[in-house]
Amino acid sequence: MLLLLNTALAFPTVVIGLVIYGLLARHGPLGGLGLLFTWQAIVVAEVILALPIATALSAAAVQAVDPRVRRTALTLGAGTLRTAWAVAREARFALAAAVVLAFGRVLSEVGAALIVGGNIRHETRTLTTAITLATSQGNFSLAIALGLVLLALALTVNVLIQLLQGRGDV
Amino acid sequence: MATFEVTGLRHDYGARTVLALDTLTIAPGARLALVGPNGSGKSTLLRLLAFLEAPSAGVIALDGRPVAARSARRAARRRVTLVEQRPYLFRGTVADNVAFGLRAGGVRGPAVTQRARAALDRLQLQGLRDRDARQLSEGEIQRVAVARALAVEPVALLLDEPASSADRAAQQAMFAALTDEQARRPLTVVFASHLLEDAYRWADGLLALHQGRPSPVTPENLFRVDLPGGTAMQQVAVGPLRIDVVSGRSGPATLAIAPDEIVLSAEPLRSSARNVFRGRIVRLAEHGAEMRVTVDAGIELVARITSRSFEEMGLAVGREVYASFKSVAVKVF
Repeated sequence: MLLLLNTALAFPTVVIGLVIYGLLARHGPLGGLGLLFTWQAIVVAEVILALPIATALSAAAVQAVDPRVRRTALTLGAGTLRTAWAVAREARFALAAAVVLAFGRVLSEVGAALIVGGNIRHETRTLTTAITLATSQGNFSLAIALGLVLLALALTVNVLIQLLQGRGDV
Repeated sequence: MATFEVTGLRHDYGARTVLALDTLTIAPGARLALVGPNGSGKSTLLRLLAFLEAPSAGVIALDGRPVAARSARRAARRRVTLVEQRPYLFRGTVADNVAFGLRAGGVRGPAVTQRARAALDRLQLQGLRDRDARQLSEGEIQRVAVARALAVEPVALLLDEPASSADRAAQQAMFAALTDEQARRPLTVVFASHLLEDAYRWADGLLALHQGRPSPVTPENLFRVDLPGGTAMQQVAVGPLRIDVVSGRSGPATLAIAPDEIVLSAEPLRSSARNVFRGRIVRLAEHGAEMRVTVDAGIELVARITSRSFEEMGLAVGREVYASFKSVAVKVF
């Protein structure tokens, strides 16, 4: 299971995009859903891309938690859910790192979004696909401006997560 | 009805049996001390009694009801609480930690704060209530963990080496709190300790374990030796003393002299006892109608005598006495 997950971590995003394209294409097994070239298709692809990272890193984070946390929660009468919550709370920095990394992968991803979204203006054009297009059209200033927006976005999310972690840690 | 009733208990880690107890009954309100060297199975027994692990074989009954199924263990955990040797405090304040078990037990609203407060007060921790749990000393962590465990009002409290990390004052505060709690309601306390003095002073029962099994002797007067071998009657060096033992074995072994096999006298005895050593009384522990007297004779020997003979002999710390025991009283294993 973990091996599968770790392999999924290294999957090229274009391959994932290709597979989802095959599934969602009109004559594909899920073609009836009519999702190809919609923003929903991009969401599906990005979730599939982010999931292995989020899962593998969360698993590692939880496994690294002191085994006494679980025993302590259990002996104080906590049920399965409350015990899991207690363990997650102790691992929250590592869990937040998992979220940040998964988010980073999604934010910077271009291959899958391009393939399953189609880079349609006002419909499925993401920041990254827009940068690709602008660059190929020789519109560097637009590409750089969009790149800066992307960076600012990444920075903002990271800062927000940091702030959230800081709170309640007193 | 007994709080714990253990029958045919066995616990294995892999192919190794770490605990084997045929029977053990612990009455409500008991103060049972588990004593024994490291690796003797004390912590394993506590984890099994806390229902954190299922035994490899055998049954533990809580208040007369056998606890076997997973769901039964979960229910039983609400009634038994273990404080580990190095307790873990969750992130947050001391009060948050004490509230954890209360919330898990379904207590809501102002009652949580109230009961957490009361538990902290009982261990004289009122000043620590709002402190970050990660910034406490070891002794404080220990006491907060005990307060957290007592807050949920368990029928049994299990303590693993409660005295190992706490300083003397913290220990006394803890034992005093446990005494108060037992005066308030029937609370069964089982604790593992290698500090025998404390175990004897506070406990009213004693279970000595050796390699996962009940040991016929208490772990005091246990000595690692190198038997010379050769004859059935041999003399072995223990510290500066030479002790006569009866054993055909040779090589590394453990000698055990049961405290009730040691006779104390003011003058050297003319008797069949081959081992007679002069020493000085260094410690005393009263235990019901009997006394445990520690004599430093080059090595520390603990003798168990009745309080009456103790008084009649006029013994006291610092007094010189003779400790005698027969060579057949020395068990070799």
